Amino acid sequence: MPNVLVTHSDEPLGRRIVKLLWHDERIGRIFALGSGAAPRAFDSFQAGGAARFEYARIELSRHRPMSDFFRSKRFRECGIDAVVHVPQHAVALEAPPLAGSFSGRAAEARLVLHHAVATGSIGSLVAVGSAFVYRLAPGNANHLDESSELELDRDPGPGLRPWIDCDMLFHGEIGRRRLRVVLLRLPTVVASGGYVYLHPGLAGRAGPRLRPLGFDPLCPVISDKDAARAVQAALHSDAAGVFNLAGREVVPLSVLGRWTRRPCVPVPGLLLRAAGAGVGRFLREPLRGALDGPHLRYGFTLDTRRAERELGFRPQYRIGLARTGDGGLRLETARA
Amino acid sequence: MSGSDERRGRSGEEGPESEPSSQGPALGSDPFEALSDAEPLEKWLDAAEQLVRGRAAPAPESDDAVAGASIRELLDARPAVGPGRGPTLSEVELPPATGFLERMLDEDARRRLEALIEALPAEGSYDRFGLSAGALRSAFPLFYALYRLYFRVQSEGHGHIPAEGAAVLVANHGGLLPFDGAMAAVDVFLHTDPPRLARAIVDRWAGTLPFVNVFLARVGQVIGTRENVTALLEGGELVLVFPEGIDGIRKPIHQRYQLQHFHVGFVEHALRARAPIVPLAILGSDDQAPILYDVKPLARWLGLPVAPITPTFPWLGPLGLLPYPVRYRISYGEPLRLHERFGPDAAEDPALVRELSAEVRRTVQKLVDRSR
Repeated sequence: MPNVLVTHSDEPLGRRIVKLLWHDERIGRIFALGSGAAPRAFDSFQAGGAARFEYARIELSRHRPMSDFFRSKRFRECGIDAVVHVPQHAVALEAPPLAGSFSGRAAEARLVLHHAVATGSIGSLVAVGSAFVYRLAPGNANHLDESSELELDRDPGPGLRPWIDCDMLFHGEIGRRRLRVVLLRLPTVVASGGYVYLHPGLAGRAGPRLRPLGFDPLCPVISDKDAARAVQAALHSDAAGVFNLAGREVVPLSVLGRWTRRPCVPVPGLLLRAAGAGVGRFLREPLRGALDGPHLRYGFTLDTRRAERELGFRPQYRIGLARTGDGGLRLETARA
Repeated sequence: MSGSDERRGRSGEEGPESEPSSQGPALGSDPFEALSDAEPLEKWLDAAEQLVRGRAAPAPESDDAVAGASIRELLDARPAVGPGRGPTLSEVELPPATGFLERMLDEDARRRLEALIEALPAEGSYDRFGLSAGALRSAFPLFYALYRLYFRVQSEGHGHIPAEGAAVLVANHGGLLPFDGAMAAVDVFLHTDPPRLARAIVDRWAGTLPFVNVFLARVGQVIGTRENVTALLEGGELVLVFPEGIDGIRKPIHQRYQLQHFHVGFVEHALRARAPIVPLAILGSDDQAPILYDVKPLARWLGLPVAPITPTFPWLGPLGLLPYPVRYRISYGEPLRLHERFGPDAAEDPALVRELSAEVRRTVQKLVDRSR
C-alpha cells in the first residue's frame, strides 16, 4: 500500500488526484504539497485529526525549502514511497533566481526528481507531462506515439519550452533501477464547467484568444477525472516509461475554445508573427511561437495503446457540451 | 472514528467522481471548490433533464453537435473516434431534405449520403484525421454538382471496388488542382453499397495552406504520412493514392497521360496491411488545366510546388486556375492482390517493392491508354 506525495495539490488537477487517491483503499497515507494555503476541499480529509492525510505549503522551485522538507522528520515519518509530480498550472515566464536558466516549472521538476532519487526510500515517481512536447508536422492528422519525435527546436516558444525541459528531465531517468519513473503525456485537460489545463494556447483565465487564420488544429482532450485515474493506474502498476493518454474526443481548437469560453479569434498569421515579435522585443522575452506556434496550426491525436496495455488505462469520461438545468450550455464530462 | 469512517471522513456524500451543481462555479474560479456541496451525478442529471423537459427547449447556441444535447444524449452519442461500417442503401431511412444544397441531390445521392454519415462519428465529432460528418454533408452537394454537371463524369468497372475492408486505389494524377481526387472519391461513393468514402492521401505541403488544410481534413482527406496510411488501412478504409505525387500535377502538356515516376510507399503499406491494390485511370484531369510551361525558379522562390503557365493562367488572374469543363472518365481495373503473392515481410525488400511499384505503374498506364 503506497504512501504518496502529491505536488501542486492546491491546483485543480492536483486536487482532483488527491481526492481520487483519498478514496482509493489501496493507497496508504497521502502527503499533499502546494504553494498556497490548504484548499477548502481538503478540510474533510484533515478533519478529526486523521493521520492519513497531511498538507504542507512549500515552494517547489526553491532548493532550500525542498531540501529541508525532504530531510524533515515529518516527511520521514510518513514513509513516502511514491511521488506524483503535478506540474504547476500557471507560471510566470521568468525563472526564479535560484533556478538558473530553467523555467519555474522545469526547476520544480528538477528538484522533485533530485530529491526522489536522493531520498532513497522512494520507489515510484509518476510525473504528469504535456503531449504538446511532440514535433508537429503540417496537417491536421499527426498521430503520435510515445516514440514520436519531440519538438527539440532551440526556441519553441515560452509556452512549450518548460514542458519540453520537464519531459526530458524525467525521460532521462526512466532507465533507473531503484526508481520507477512514469511519465504521462497528457493532451488538453478539461473539467466540467469549461476549465482547461495544459493547453499552451488556452491556459489561464477565460477570455478570447488569438489563433492563425485558416488553421483549426485538432485537439485531443481528456477529462480531469480521467487524468486522475491515469495517475492512479500508474501508481498501482509496475510499468515504467512514457505513456500517451487521451480521452475519446478530439475537437478542433475553435470548438474547444467555444466549449471552454475561450473563443479563438482568427487573425492572419503574418500579423500574429509580427505582433509576437513586437511584444517579444518589448518584454525582452522570446515569444516566437507563442501566438503562432505549430500547436495553433497543426493538429494531432495520440496513440494511447501503450497506456491501455501496460497501465490498463482506458478513458471513461465523455466530454461535450450539455444543457444545464437553467437551459444554458456548458462543457460537461460524464462517465460513459 | 473507525478506519473506514476516517477514510470516508465528511466526504462520505462527496465521492471522488461527484459533479458540481447544475449552476456550476463561476468561470475563472476554482472548479473544485463547490465539490463539497455537489450532488451525486445521477441526481444532478435527473434534475437537469426534468428542467429541460419542463420548458420549451431553447435553440442551441452553437452548431456543435452535442450542443443542445442532454448529458444522456452525450453519453449515447456514437464514439468520436473510429471507423464504422454504415448501413446499406436499403436500410437507410431517408429524412426530408433540408436546405437548398441538399435539395439539389437526387434521392439516391441523398440516401447514400445518409448511409455514409451513419457510419461516421456523430455530427460535430471528428475522427482522428479531422473528418466531420457535418462538413461532409455541406460539401457533398457542391462536389456532386461538379461531378454531374461540370465534369459530367462517366465511369466503368465499379465491380472492382471492394465492398468492404482495406484497399488501396492507385490512380494517375494531373490537372494542377486535385479535382481528380475529388471526382474519384465521389465516383466511389456513388457506386458502392454501403457507400464508401475513399480517403485520398494528400501531399504534406497542403497541410501548410490556410483554409485548404482544414477543408481537406474535414471532408476526409489525409496528409500522407506513414502513420496515417497505416492507421487508415488498419481501420479497413479505402485509401486513394496518387503515387506520382506533385510530379503528376505539374507535368507539361506534352507529357499528358504519361505517368511519372511512382513513389513506392503505397506498395509497402498494401503488403503490410494485406490490402488489394485497385488501379484507377482518370481521364480528363490532364486536360482541365494544361501546363504550357512550369517556371521552376519562380516556384522555388515562392516555395510552391509549381508555377504554371497555362492558356488562362496567369492571364486571367486566379480565375485562370479554375479547371476547364472537360469530361472526366474513370476506369477501375482488376485488383492486384500482391499480398497473395508476397507476405508482409516483402515490404522490407526495397528492390522487390520498387519492382512491384513499377508493375502497378505499368498497369495504371495500360488502363489509361486503353481508356483514351
